[in-house]
Parts: sequence; structure tokens; C-alpha cells
Amino acid sequence: MRRKRGISVAIAAVVAAGLALVASGCGGGGSSGSNNSTAAPAGKTFPTLKVAWGTTDYFDPGLSYRLESWQLFQDVYLGLVVKAHVSCQTDNCTKIEPGLATTTGTVTDGGKNFKFTLRKGIKYSNGEPVKASDFKATIIRDFKLNSPGIGFFSNIVGVDACEANPTSCSDISGIVTDDKAGTVEIKLKTPESDFLYVLSIPFTAVVPASTPQKDTENPPPAAAGPYYITNYNPSKSFTVKRNPYWKKNEIPAVPNGNPDTIQGTMTDDESQSAQLVASGQAMYDENVLPVDRLAFYKKKYSDQIKFFTTPSTYYFFMNQQLAPFNNLKARQAVNYAIDRQQLVNLRGGLGVPTWNFLPPSYPQYKKITPTPYPYDLQKAKQLVQQSGTAGQKVTIYTISDVAVDLSTGEYLQSQLNKIGWKATLKPIAGANYFTIVGNQSTKAQIGFTDWFEDYPYPSDWFNILLNGEHIKPVHNNNYGNVNIKSLNKEIDRLDSLPPSEALSASTNSAWAKVDKAFSDNAATVPYLNGILTSFFSSQMNVACDIFTDSQDDPAQFCLK
Amino acid sequence: MATTGQEEFTLDTAAELAAKEGGSQIQGKSPWVLAGRRMRRNYVSLAFLGIFLLIVISCLLAPLYVSQVSHIPQNDVRTGATVVEHGKTVNVISQGGTKIVNGVPQIVFGGVPIGAQWGAAGGKYVLGADELGRDVGTRLLYGGRNSLFIGVTSAAICTTLSVVLALLAGYFGGIVDWIISRFFDLVWAFPVVLLGIALGTALSVNGFHHGPINVSSGSLWIPIGVISFVFIPYIGRPLRGQVLALRNREFIEAATAQGAGPVRIMFSELLPNVASSVLVLFTLIVANSILTEVGLSFLGAGVQLPNPSWGTMIQEGSKLLSTAPQISLFPGIAIALTVLSLNVFGDGLRDALDPRAKIRIEHG
Repeated sequence: MRRKRGISVAIAAVVAAGLALVASGCGGGGSSGSNNSTAAPAGKTFPTLKVAWGTTDYFDPGLSYRLESWQLFQDVYLGLVVKAHVSCQTDNCTKIEPGLATTTGTVTDGGKNFKFTLRKGIKYSNGEPVKASDFKATIIRDFKLNSPGIGFFSNIVGVDACEANPTSCSDISGIVTDDKAGTVEIKLKTPESDFLYVLSIPFTAVVPASTPQKDTENPPPAAAGPYYITNYNPSKSFTVKRNPYWKKNEIPAVPNGNPDTIQGTMTDDESQSAQLVASGQAMYDENVLPVDRLAFYKKKYSDQIKFFTTPSTYYFFMNQQLAPFNNLKARQAVNYAIDRQQLVNLRGGLGVPTWNFLPPSYPQYKKITPTPYPYDLQKAKQLVQQSGTAGQKVTIYTISDVAVDLSTGEYLQSQLNKIGWKATLKPIAGANYFTIVGNQSTKAQIGFTDWFEDYPYPSDWFNILLNGEHIKPVHNNNYGNVNIKSLNKEIDRLDSLPPSEALSASTNSAWAKVDKAFSDNAATVPYLNGILTSFFSSQMNVACDIFTDSQDDPAQFCLK
Repeated sequence: MATTGQEEFTLDTAAELAAKEGGSQIQGKSPWVLAGRRMRRNYVSLAFLGIFLLIVISCLLAPLYVSQVSHIPQNDVRTGATVVEHGKTVNVISQGGTKIVNGVPQIVFGGVPIGAQWGAAGGKYVLGADELGRDVGTRLLYGGRNSLFIGVTSAAICTTLSVVLALLAGYFGGIVDWIISRFFDLVWAFPVVLLGIALGTALSVNGFHHGPINVSSGSLWIPIGVISFVFIPYIGRPLRGQVLALRNREFIEAATAQGAGPVRIMFSELLPNVASSVLVLFTLIVANSILTEVGLSFLGAGVQLPNPSWGTMIQEGSKLLSTAPQISLFPGIAIALTVLSLNVFGDGLRDALDPRAKIRIEHG
């Protein structure tokens, strides 16, 4: 998932504790979840929570691929399974819990067959009962919408026709539902280690089969969670209310929530957003605090601000199909030329320098030691000379309308000029940036990018961003066209392990080796893992703030 | 011709009579000399001309400032550098750091550039640093060169094109006038900044490559071209009106009767008669062009980073207004002084050349 443009915001932090996949994995009946997972501090219900919120792309779960929506969706749209609504700092927030299904599913056929049974009596916010066939309808609807999430379903049996012509998708034979028995069976072509995670993201959140098969925004589709979105005025405001058909504690993993209504004022202006909270007009600021006011706010409102590390990596891509970055020494030179700490400083300190591609919050993470590319401008110059590319023209792509991204691009340009290339900067508006650099005809040589997890498993990083088999002519996420056959093969192998092996020590170690191998290849220039802020008004009890895998959970906010 | 017995009385004979009566010889003064006299008596205008010239000279001396004072080139990024301030070593950019304690990040905020040193750091960072550790003083001067170059050059191009179009429209009239007037109306119909952004953004993505003209995306000629274009009707329309009024005057009929062709009439007869207006409009359009350049650069459609202009400097400093106001403040002051000085001088020039004139640049 890309972070929103304009403000650096991430999807949630992840702790390194063991994941629920192991428990949910193979053979047996899967875990049934427990009340312990909703470990929210004691809070009382209150009438209205007013929040300042960043703008987003859509409020339709089939279409939105932005954190601002996903954060809210965690209390609104539910899948067969859900991510635990627990703190990533004190608990295992990457755990997968039963959602609309009674368990995390029964996995058979070597990890190729998942079977779920729906809970009985659950109703959507429009009063319709949740049916098994709604799941299939939801996935088909995603195809009809040409959702950015349809790539997650390519391993489902019978999906080929839908992939070939998404908007004409009418059936997927690999999804078998029985409304009477309330069962959903999903057949995969090959085992997929991260498939339960896929079932926890909003693209698979179940909406009624009667939902229009088009972008549905005002109001957004009916929801099966404890809340539903009653009103959405794009880029301006939204209102979320309690689902009148939600029965207390009917899904143990999903909190009932404290506020009766959530009223959101949407803005991407970090200063305005913070001011709304400082002045008491809003109770929570979803945007990051403005960089130049961090110290001020921290000093004045120290008890009302929290910081969280995020499973995100900011990095520079280098196009390995184009000179000079088709040369290993040239790519190594860039890695040596970047002083990671200075790029953290550009963000006011909201970041942790990194040389790994995978964020440190993952159990598969192993810090690469010794530091593979310590800042060494002299060595970088030598490598450029040795590569025979000195004096070549290099065009750097960055985002023009986010000040810190622009500064980051300027920093890179300065460093590349220092080590012997003739670098020019090409800033592009954030709204079009990834489309342009992800188009092969752009021939983007090098540039800024970042990645925030969709779900906490390494395949969401390596398979999507660095697997050469997924290089596309347009909408390409592998901006550097990294294509190392041995690593492609290893990623495919790890990705197709049955869930039972997904988190074994040997698998984790194998992923760490993949991370190291990409570093050895200087495939990218990872430079920091992001940190974000949560700012509450004085009337809020900050202790109630639960930073889940989908960021602060507004349902669990409480008053003092 | 019948004579009346009396000598005909003319201005020349009046001058001779005055001389005979012991007075000094009356000499005809050209309008330019008279304007010069009026201008010399307008001390406020001259003072502001002095300020403008001082700014121009300072900006032209930017390379000297770098080699003799700051020793920091305009685009030199020095994020990790230190300077000795009153014998004490300080970071140009405050260094932050993050420790993760029990999963919670403990942050030392960083990234704040040092403020104006005024000489305490041996000439370095006299006006402070920006977020990338670049010298604000150096960038202010180089930014001024870019802003002034764009402003003056685009005003010159715009004025030249406008004068030619106004002469063609006013002299030929008819279909030529209709076409040119509709072109003026078309450009006038768009707000200057909006049209500038649209053109500037489009051209700054891939540059301009048509036929023999190849302008790269980062070239200063892109904002120059855009600004020259958007201001054409603001000069062209008032001049066309003046040319139309002059077109039917006797001296034009006389020139036509003497066999003068259109080109000669336009450039030898009409142009000198609108020259004072052209000059005044030029000075006023320079100020407007500088402001437009600043606006376009602020919005990313003018001078392309990392090259400085006063607009890009303000834009870059806008996110650090509370902690490092110097980044935006100094270019802001420079813009205000430049535009004010040009406008006051332009007004003085207008008063001197034609005190009855009401020439104004009016934005649509």
C-alpha cells in the first residue's frame, strides 16, 4: 500500500511476536478467537468523537487502497477473518482472528483449500443478513470495479477469465458458497503462505450482494462491523455511526466501540489538522504533526501525543534495465552516497535509518551486519569511476507537492552530482507520480518511493516490489525492474508454502536471506522506516489509544 | 500668395524678437529632454530606481559573494556539515535521532537549520541555512539573478511582441485587427496565474521540442516563454487603442501621401508616438513578470529545483516558517523591494513622459 500523498502516514506498526497463522494453519479446525484479543482499556461510551482526518481515495472497500480509509474500515468492514484489534506495542497485533467466520478456517489439500463457516445472525447495517454467497459476490464485485486489490486473488482457481476481462467477471469456480450451511470454500491453484492475511484486508471485506457493482461512495456500502459510514463528502467530511444491527460482543475479536458517532473533518493540511485538535475543535488528529512544529507540540502537549514506528520502508529505486544502474557498482555507489541519518533529519527525526528492505518489526527481519553501505562519499566516487559510468546523465524522479519528498529528491540529486554523474531532478505531482514512474515508457532511472504493508508478511514486500516475474508495462510496482532469477524463484517458493510453514524458523530465516541478497545486489537504496504521530485533545484519555495493525483504532478511543 | 505687407508671425520670429530684445535664445526642447528634467526632480522615483539598481548589482555579484564571502555554492547540499560560530562548533542542521524503547520510539527532533549568522561564522550562512544546509544568502543572490533575468527578459519579449501586434492591428484594421483583437481577448480571458500554471506545468514536464526549438524541462526559457505569452494583451490592448487613434491623424496621411509604405509608417511614424507609453508599460510589466515568476516558481511551474529563484526559496521555506523563517523571509523582502521600486519608478517615468497619461497594467 502506498501512503497518502501530502502527509507521511503509515499503516500500523507490527510486533515481532509469533503470528496467528501458525495456529490457524493446517489441518484442524483453526482457532476460534477469544475475548482476550479485544484488550482495550476500560472506556465508556460517549456520544460524539470529532476527528481531523486526511483525505483519501475512496470510501468503498472494493476500491480504496489508502491508509486513511483502511484505518476507519477496521471498525466498519469485516472479512471472514480480521486482524486483531490489539496494540502493536504490547500485544501481537499481526494475529489473525475469526471475523464473520466462526474460526480462522480449515485448511486442507496441502494448503490449497480453505473452508469457513459463517457466524449466524449477523446483519449488515441495512438490515440484510450476512450470507455466504456475499463473499463470492464481493470478490466478483472487486473485479467488476477493476479494484486495485484484484491482484491478490490471482491464485484462486477459476479466476483467469475474470483477470483477463475484469469488468465482465461473472463467476469464480474456485469459490464455492452455501448460504444454507453458511460455508465458504476457497480453492487455490497452489498453496499460498499469506492467503489468510489476504482475507483480512478490506478488498475481501464482505459487503451485501445487492451492493451496486460500481464505485459506491455516498453512502458507502452497508457494513457488517460495529459501525457503518452514513455520510461521505469527499475531501471534506464523513460521519460514522453505530451499526443498529450489531449485537454486543457478537464477534469477540472486534470491539463494540466507545463513541456513538464519529464525525470527521478531512484535510491534508497538517498545520490546520493539528490546530483543530489544539483548539479543541477536534479530538484526534489522524495526520502527522507538521515537521517544523514537532518540538513545539511535543513540549506543549507532551501528554497528548504518541509516536509509533510503522512497518514501512522509504527507499530509492534504481532501474536495472537502464544505464547506469544496470551496473552493480553504480548501484552500490548510490548506496554508499546516501547518509541515511540526514534523510531522517529531513523528516524532523520521524524515522529510523535502515539498510534492510524489510522493516524491523517483522519476525523475518534480521539486521544486516555489518552495515552494508556506510556513508562513504569517497568510495561512492571510486565505484562510479570503476563502473565506467562517470559523467552520464541521470534523471531523478520525486514527488513535487510533498515538501519533504521534494527535499529528499534534491538531496539525492546533490549526492549523485557529487559522485560523478550529471543528475537532474524531475518532480511530478503526487497524484500521478506512481502511475508515471510505474509506466515503462517513462524510463524512470532512479527515484523516490516508499511502501507500507498491506498485511504483515514478507511476500507483501518482496513478491510485489522486487519479484522480476511481476514486472509490468504499466502500473508496475517493481520500479527498478529488479529481476534476479534465483531470488524470483526463492520468493515464489516461500510464497507457496502451506500456511503451516509460513512462520517456521527456517522460513523466517529464508526470508531474511532474501532480504540480505537484495542488499548484496544493491537492488534498492532503503533508507528509513517511518514513524508517525497521534495527537489527542485534552479531553481524551490517551491511554485508551490502541495502535493496531491498521493504525489508531478510533472505536476504542475514550474520554478522560 | 497675396501679401499683407506685414511679415508673418511664427514661433521662430518670436524667438528672434525675444533675442533682439536682449533675452536669451529660446531653444526647442524634445519631449525626452523635458521628461528627463521632470524625472530628475522626482527624488522619490530616483531613490527607488537606486534601490532597484542596487538589488540588480548585488545579484550580479553573486559569484563574487560565493568566492570571497560564503564559499558555499548555490546548490551545495551540506546536511551533515558544521560551522564554527564564535569559536563553538555547531551543526548546520540540528541532528535528530530515534531510539526504540519497549517498542515506543524516543525521538530527538532534528532537521532545523541554523539561523542568520550575520558574520559570526566567518561569512558562512550570513542569512542562515535552508533545510538542506544550503547557504540562504548565496541562494538569495543567485535566486535574484534568475528572478530578475526572467522578469526583465520576459517583459522585453512580451513588450516587443505586443508592440508589433498592436501596430499591425491598429494600422491595418479590418480582418487583421479582428484576428489580433480576438487573440488578445482569448489570452485576456484566462487569469494570468492560472494560464501561467497550466502552460508552465505542461512545459516543465518534458520541455518544449518542436522543429528547431528544443528547450529542456529545467530551462529558464520555459518560464520566460510562459510569462511573455500571458502578458501580451496587457500591453497589446492599450497600445492598439493608441495606434488606432493615431492612425487617422494628419501626419500619417501626409506620410502616406509621400509614398511611405506600411512598415515605414508603423515603425517610423506610429512607433515614436507611442514610445513613451511603451517605456512606461515595460517598467510596469517587469514588476508584474517578476511577481508572476515568483508565483509560478512557488507553485512548481517556474524555475525548476534545485536552481533557486525567490519563488522556489519561499516555497521551500514555507514548511519551516516557525523554526527557520529566514528561508522565506529574505526572498520575500527582496521581492517586495524589487517590485515596489519598479512600480514607484515606473509611475515616476509615466509622470515624466506624459503627465496626462493614465497608463496602468490592469489584470483581467
